[in-house]
Amino acid sequence: MTASASSLPAAEANTYISALPLDIVGLLSSAHHPQAGALVVFSGEVRDNNLGMAVAYLEYEAKESLAAKMIHEILDKAREKWKLNIAVAQHRIGKVSVAESAVVVITASPHRREAYEANRYIIDRIKHEVPIWKCEYFKDGSKKWGGNCNCEDFTGDPNKHVYETGSY
Amino acid sequence: MKVEVFALLKEYFDKQFFVPDLVEDINSLKDYLGQQNPEATRILSSCRFAVNDEFIDTSYKFKQNDSISIIPPSSGG
Repeated sequence: MTASASSLPAAEANTYISALPLDIVGLLSSAHHPQAGALVVFSGEVRDNNLGMAVAYLEYEAKESLAAKMIHEILDKAREKWKLNIAVAQHRIGKVSVAESAVVVITASPHRREAYEANRYIIDRIKHEVPIWKCEYFKDGSKKWGGNCNCEDFTGDPNKHVYETGSY
Repeated sequence: MKVEVFALLKEYFDKQFFVPDLVEDINSLKDYLGQQNPEATRILSSCRFAVNDEFIDTSYKFKQNDSISIIPPSSGG
């Protein structure tokens, strides 16, 4: 296997990874499409609790160039597989407060089934495969890098995830 | 070669550091880092490795100027 560089230009990387609050309404209003009868918006939001502990805020870190490249490829794959009119995804980095959006995925297609399925596919792959990590900061002052993908415990392979069961 | 680590791994290693050229592939890098910090061994076993934004596998031989990223399991979303 070779390692050849093919990163996205910085301007395009910003499309997928954002240090600023995600503008869900803005993303949504640019995602309407004349041939799409269905548009699905998913927003992954910061909960105020996890594992029984009160969460103060999260901090996200990414290997930005690689993360942007992978999101780009995941969206291309979804567009092709479900013949989407629109596929958009953006993940936040840095400090994200409770009730803020950490990730947004928007899909649009002629009918709703494809938009729903593709949306789920995109968010699953972003969560499990793209090099983005959350650190949870709890109200008691402790912190934990976590919620790590632990699919390996079930599949026996760090590159094989539980949703890769052929259901897509 | 230069190595960069992310997320949880920063609690075990500097964010960026250099490894000697005799580290030739993923397995010897894992061995080397496991000797530097035995507590990181388990986490390293679940990491992916990338060079120049491409994931590599155990057959890849590092080159002198490679910039290696060690990618812990994702926890985005």
